Amino acid sequence: MSNLNSISKNIESEKKLVKDIETLEKMRLQFLGKKGEITILMKDLGKMDPKERKAKAEELNKVKDSVNNFINSKSDEFEDELMSNQLASEKQDLTLDSKISDGRIHPITQVIDEVIAIFTDLDFCVAEGPEVETDYNNFTALNTSENHPARQMHDTFYVNSETDGMLNVLRTHTSPVQIRSMLEGKPPFRLIAPGKTYRCDNDQTHTPMFHQVEGLVIDKTSNMGHLKGCLETFLKEFFETETPKMRFRPSHFPFTEPSAEVDIGYRKDGNQIIIGEGDSWLEILGCGMVHPNVLKNVNINPDEYQGYAFGVGIERLAMLKYGISDLRTFYDSDLRWLKHFGFIPLDIPSISGGLSR
Amino acid sequence: MKFTISWLKEHLETKALDEEIINKLTAIGLEVEEVQDASALYGDFLIAQVVDEEKHPNADKLKLCKVDIGGKVVDVVCGAPNVVKGMKVVYAPPGAVIPINQMKLKVVKIRGVESSGMLCSEYELGISDSHDGIIHMSENSNVGGLYIDQMNLNDVMIEIGITPNRQDCLGVYGIARDLAAAGIGELKEIELPKFKTVGKNPINILFEETSNQKNYCSAFGSRYIKNVKNCESPQWLKDKLSSIGLKPISALVDITNYILFDYNRPLHVYDADKISGDIIIRAAKKDEIFLGLDDKEYNLSEGMCVIADEKQPLGLGGILGGSLSACSTNTTNVLLESALFIPANIASTGRKLFIDSDARYRFERGVDPNSLNIGLDRAAKLIQEICGGEISETQICGTIPNNEHDISFDLLKNTNRLGVEIDQSEIESMLKKLGIKITSKKDNLICTIPSWRHDIHGEADLSEEVIRLKGFDAIPVLPVRTEKRINEKILSDSYKNSLRSKRFLAHRGSNELITWSFTSSKDSKFYIDDQKLEIQNPISEELDILRPSLIPNLLNAIKKNSSRGFESFSLFEVGNQFFSDQSGDQKNIACGLRAGIKFEKSWRTEKSHYDTYDVKDDILTLINHLIPQNKKIEINAGAPKWYHPGRSATVMLNKKTVLGYFGELHPKIMKFYKIKSRISVFELFLDEVPTKLKKTTNKENYIVSDFQAVDRDFAFTIDKEIEGKILINLALKADEKLVKNVEIFDVFEGESIGIDKKSLAIKVTLQAFDRTLNETEIQEVSAKIVDSIQQKTAGVVRS
Repeated sequence: MSNLNSISKNIESEKKLVKDIETLEKMRLQFLGKKGEITILMKDLGKMDPKERKAKAEELNKVKDSVNNFINSKSDEFEDELMSNQLASEKQDLTLDSKISDGRIHPITQVIDEVIAIFTDLDFCVAEGPEVETDYNNFTALNTSENHPARQMHDTFYVNSETDGMLNVLRTHTSPVQIRSMLEGKPPFRLIAPGKTYRCDNDQTHTPMFHQVEGLVIDKTSNMGHLKGCLETFLKEFFETETPKMRFRPSHFPFTEPSAEVDIGYRKDGNQIIIGEGDSWLEILGCGMVHPNVLKNVNINPDEYQGYAFGVGIERLAMLKYGISDLRTFYDSDLRWLKHFGFIPLDIPSISGGLSR
Repeated sequence: MKFTISWLKEHLETKALDEEIINKLTAIGLEVEEVQDASALYGDFLIAQVVDEEKHPNADKLKLCKVDIGGKVVDVVCGAPNVVKGMKVVYAPPGAVIPINQMKLKVVKIRGVESSGMLCSEYELGISDSHDGIIHMSENSNVGGLYIDQMNLNDVMIEIGITPNRQDCLGVYGIARDLAAAGIGELKEIELPKFKTVGKNPINILFEETSNQKNYCSAFGSRYIKNVKNCESPQWLKDKLSSIGLKPISALVDITNYILFDYNRPLHVYDADKISGDIIIRAAKKDEIFLGLDDKEYNLSEGMCVIADEKQPLGLGGILGGSLSACSTNTTNVLLESALFIPANIASTGRKLFIDSDARYRFERGVDPNSLNIGLDRAAKLIQEICGGEISETQICGTIPNNEHDISFDLLKNTNRLGVEIDQSEIESMLKKLGIKITSKKDNLICTIPSWRHDIHGEADLSEEVIRLKGFDAIPVLPVRTEKRINEKILSDSYKNSLRSKRFLAHRGSNELITWSFTSSKDSKFYIDDQKLEIQNPISEELDILRPSLIPNLLNAIKKNSSRGFESFSLFEVGNQFFSDQSGDQKNIACGLRAGIKFEKSWRTEKSHYDTYDVKDDILTLINHLIPQNKKIEINAGAPKWYHPGRSATVMLNKKTVLGYFGELHPKIMKFYKIKSRISVFELFLDEVPTKLKKTTNKENYIVSDFQAVDRDFAFTIDKEIEGKILINLALKADEKLVKNVEIFDVFEGESIGIDKKSLAIKVTLQAFDRTLNETEIQEVSAKIVDSIQQKTAGVVRS
């Protein structure tokens, strides 16, 4: 017993020496290791008679448990301390900048994608055509003969190549895509044709290159009422307003008859443009029933088929919807402007996900 | 086209308010562009009289005036040098807004003296630039009366845009007719002038060659008026022309202008005494010289129509009068012309000579043949009234064509076209008011189109007349969605590739630009061999050809943005480049540029710049985005001449299709642009990138090995010219079953291994599908790899 007493004393004095994980381990080995003082006493139990053994064992286990408890609680304490030291040493200043990649989509691309989303939902497909066009496709087939005064209003760019003896042009509108599509296919047609167009004009409100989207519907029944419904649906969805104010005005395009221009009602609130309110009007598109001569030119019988066409200026749409006041900035390649008016690449317009955020 | 409400009302009997008229004009397709209301502008201004004036007590140059404004005398301080006692002046009372600067007048103290209102100069009223002194009104002006009454300004001027088809509305009378048809009042009949004639036209007028005549002039009508006295026009005529912004010249000229704008009938008046012999209407000779009224000399070409005497051209038919036969104050005998020229000829002559005149504008759109006689007679009568003289009989050379024609108008079809049924009686009434005669009824109307409407050829045109007069509000909004979808394919593959490329590149941190499809031939010389790309009429020298590449405009964008302070550039454009000026010879390209600082030096990174490997990543990840899992892509050294020959490559698909290029731009281009940094570029031909090739949407079979993979590293010293991909391919082929992947992880060049050598270190991953490889197997494969590379490249394995 005296031996056990001295061990207990030793334990108390050793406890005071424990100050870290190493000294704790040293203490464990001293008492509970293979050759530890308690371990040796435990081995001696076997040599005792049962009565003595029971009493000794009880005492010995008590001491052993107390050492174990001490070691476990100290061990937790030291681990916690280590962890908090690690955490303290690993601190980062996250207010420092990290490089964020920030590419932007041009507003023209965004608006064309919006227009495509709306019209493909209405069963229109997207047609394309070349930007260098034949005089025939750009004018003559569209019922605009050589001396038609409307030709002069187009300020056409010419190149040196010819088709059938006429100089080729940079297309002045997306309407020649109507001709190409109708010559290639068979009615019915429901298509839009977004793209670049060119006119020899360069001032504050005109750029020599701009974008249009053409629309064409040819079947046996589509009339001006459908045209109105089509444009109203489009404007509602595009401007994301239930109440777009539209005004149809008679106008003239050689390739539609009757022809109309459509104004949209808006008001200005500071620099903001509010669509669907107020009593200012802005012309945004031209439209009409496809002229029977155009149908004849693409071998479609105008007594059997009819339909409508429209052409919208993409820049106008972008300016109105996103409050861009200067047309020329679209083509100025100014990265500051692009950062401001450009779009996040994954903001892909869709009917299900919404056109804009 | 400008006119005033009072001028309009000479032809239109109406009680409609000005605002109704203005709204209706736009509603029927005569779009109002500007309204100038003089009574709103000058309504507050009064006629006043200076009853006394003395020097301002505190200012040398100012005067203190007592001004009678009609029963009341007010004090006005005035700085004008010409103000004198008794002078009648234009007075702006407090509250009036000065037109030139929009300043609202208040009673103010000027140098301590109260001034109530202002005496105005022409400049302040916005009438002229003259501000030397205040306006001196005539002695008979009514003191206390309104300025607008005194000046007959009580009128609203309207400017409308006329679409090219509505040539009939290029005169006030035609506008009145259209308004009447739309329900704004009744059209007043034109009173046919009556006068006595004296004998025949003494000048002989003939077509030189009647066979060609139909190409340029169908009829030439004229009257000779002798013993006239050209003078200043009477006030009513001067006021009329001034009201639409025209400058009165002399009675003879003013009368023809008046008829032009009133009745849409171009006329010309020659000084008959300056005509030598006969008048000959003929085609111009090549290089014939013509002196225009505008004092310019025109070099004519064959086919243009001239009105000539025996010596020379006196007028360019239907476009411009000549200076040699112009009327002056001494003119005593005149020849008055009212002719009918052929639109196509007028258009082409006007275009070639760059002459824009009111006559050309009307003739090329088509003039009412029946206006020839009425216009001639109205002008002759006015000349006689104002200038005196005796009028000859009318002489007409050629024949006035009858262009009236019938259209059968099916009302059912009209309904199907417009989407709304409009009452037959309403249709008939509207069309009749336009001058269309309707002879047969029931569902088909036989419509006789009058001589002044050149734009109505078929039923669709009549539908337009009906709906524009009825108003588009009558058309219902019908659903655009249809029951059956008709389009199977929505977007072409090329279009899909464009859309995807833009989003992908922007997501990689690049900015989308849209630049002109034109560029400068100077900037483009690096990209062109002998392609024909010129634009005939470029907007400027900098934009004189179709772009043969997207690079030049993007380089200019880099230059521009550098000057804005940017130092890091990641730009791209997706658009067409042109291979020639033939229609359709264009390709859709995605072109990206990276230049300048990639990482700024920071607490975290060293400063680094973009290089060719950045654009290599761009083009390869983009291709992978467009055609996922395609393994047939190959990189071959070298690219077209605008690339650095040693730092560029071509991307091939299946060994035969060129998908694109990437690399560093040639240093000589950088030198040309004076750009210091290196610029890395890629160009991808989007039309060449195949979209879905397989029929199934399933992915490839999923095969992976769960047995352990081992990596082995090798280093070889090889010839500097040998490309890394050769080593990779040799290692892959050494054992196609076991070699799963090969990567180059180090490149070393240095004198220690020889200047024509380099060392490449590769990491080879080995793995089998059915077992873990043992050391012997690994050794065997390694030996194969080393042998193969040493044999094929004459390289030496480094240990």
